[in-house]
Amino acid sequence: MLPERGGDRSPATHAHGAWYNRTPMTRLSRREFAALTAAAAAAPFAFGPDASAAAALTAKELLDRITAQIGVAWKAETVDGLKAGDPSTAVTGIVTTAMASLGVLKRAVEAGANVVVTSQPTFYAKADTRTPPAPRGPGGGPPGAAPAAPPPPPAAAPPDAVYTAKNAFIDQHKLVVIRLNEHWKLRDPDPQAVGLAQAMGWTKHQVAGNAKRYDVPALTVDALVAALRKNLGVAGGIRVVGDPKTSLRRIGLLPGSTPIQASLELMPEVDAIVAGEVREWESVEYARDQVAAGNRKALILVGRISSEDPGMRVCADWLKTVAPGVPVRHIGVGDPYWRPA
Amino acid sequence: MKAGEIIDRIKKQLGVPWRDATYRDTFKSGGPDSEVTGIATTAFVSLDVIRTATAAGLNMIIPHEDTFWNDRDDQAVVAQDAVYKQKLELLNKHNVVVFRIHDHMHAQRPDFTYVGSARAIGLDPKHEDPPGSHRFVIPETTLAALAADVKHRSGARALRVVGDPRAKVSRIRLGVGYASPPINAADIDVLISGEQQESDGTFDSQPYALDAAEAGVAKGIILLGHTISEEAGMLEMAQWIKGFVPEVPVQLIKAEEPLWGPASR
Repeated sequence: MLPERGGDRSPATHAHGAWYNRTPMTRLSRREFAALTAAAAAAPFAFGPDASAAAALTAKELLDRITAQIGVAWKAETVDGLKAGDPSTAVTGIVTTAMASLGVLKRAVEAGANVVVTSQPTFYAKADTRTPPAPRGPGGGPPGAAPAAPPPPPAAAPPDAVYTAKNAFIDQHKLVVIRLNEHWKLRDPDPQAVGLAQAMGWTKHQVAGNAKRYDVPALTVDALVAALRKNLGVAGGIRVVGDPKTSLRRIGLLPGSTPIQASLELMPEVDAIVAGEVREWESVEYARDQVAAGNRKALILVGRISSEDPGMRVCADWLKTVAPGVPVRHIGVGDPYWRPA
Repeated sequence: MKAGEIIDRIKKQLGVPWRDATYRDTFKSGGPDSEVTGIATTAFVSLDVIRTATAAGLNMIIPHEDTFWNDRDDQAVVAQDAVYKQKLELLNKHNVVVFRIHDHMHAQRPDFTYVGSARAIGLDPKHEDPPGSHRFVIPETTLAALAADVKHRSGARALRVVGDPRAKVSRIRLGVGYASPPINAADIDVLISGEQQESDGTFDSQPYALDAAEAGVAKGIILLGHTISEEAGMLEMAQWIKGFVPEVPVQLIKAEEPLWGPASR
């Protein structure tokens, strides 16, 4: 049986439409994009929908404005910056996303954008280079296994078909990809937490002064899972520690990828943590022991990428102020995961 | 029987030299002089595992993974936590000895984690090609059918898959725990492993498999979860210890999968 990934998505976070289940509804036409951006252009302090203003801005200038206006000191050593494309490219439109997947790039082009601002790497590694990393043994990160000796690479390794396809698409459509992650999440309040709360409709329930904490009307773990599915468009990627019937009111948010220290700090003061990615030998086991100790708590993991997409929607709103007159919108990656019945 | 004697026999039987530099394979509770009534092997020393083992009269626990929610079992990290204090109390109340065996389990041949994982998901050793490579070549199937079979056999409720369900696959690379080779290796279609960082690592296999599906390249990753991936081999570990520690009972007490997940639809 093939898993179904299409249903249950809010139009707001409409996703990637699985390649085998894409409907026209999950795509935004050029006209719709224009309509959306016209609304943005009509916002106070924005320039009018002046095409020449947009045409005048290059990708390099956009990155310079981001660097200057991000609100935190730009690091000398950073994963952020230009990852693909010609910096002199005139910006026709900007798409923000949690990850510049090939699917997101295609939908960006369909929407008339040629610059993609991504939270996570484009080329499948922190190094984020357009060619595959040199073959190596399995990563030895704790608590992994001792690496087995990798088989010797074939004398003439064939080119990597996925890198080739992605590079060809980027080149063909003259796309520019900019990564914006470590500086974006340093902003205060944490835009990833703010975005996640907005997507869940919890903004009005925020505990004063803490973008990570929300006291919501009581709901069960099951109901929270259903709400996450609906509002984040995530299904197969959801994993839970805790009893489905446990009633929750105090929610803590840990978008992205977080270490045990974050859970130790947050869990005692909440009924549930909604997180992106944690290490299973850390926070998952901690949550398991919390429940076994008799505390009525839960840990809900939605995946790193799915947890960061709402924050990139917030980034789209911010970029409209950085590049007034340029069409900007967010396109979600969609849940990368599925689960057989 | 003293815990120290059991550890001495493990070191002697291992077949590879003991590396004293390990921070993982050490006592986490009790010590060499602790009196042992019986041994439980497990993936994690959870509160429930401590309760079940001690109720069964087994006061020595040999886990593959950490006890105090961090790889180094640095108790300073968790010292202020109320559940940590409960765990410590429970360990002390029952004079529980905990000795982790991780690095040396992976150094041993065969590595029981691979043996157990292959058994749990139905990978036949006769399909391993080349032998000892953790690469299995099976009759061609689809990623959807393979994932459904693996889920059924392993019982993993929170198993996750990335890739085109219709992709035709036959070459499987098994990884265990948090150690997975990159999915883009030319000689594999599917990676089956425990846990894998989603992105921003040395190689991001899930994002790669997502794009492979979009590009029509047959690649998939099946993530079992850390416990499902490595706990099966703790049965082999229990049987192995039983062979040279006949004085006390030895058995597997499963921590079991901590996670559950809703179906995709």
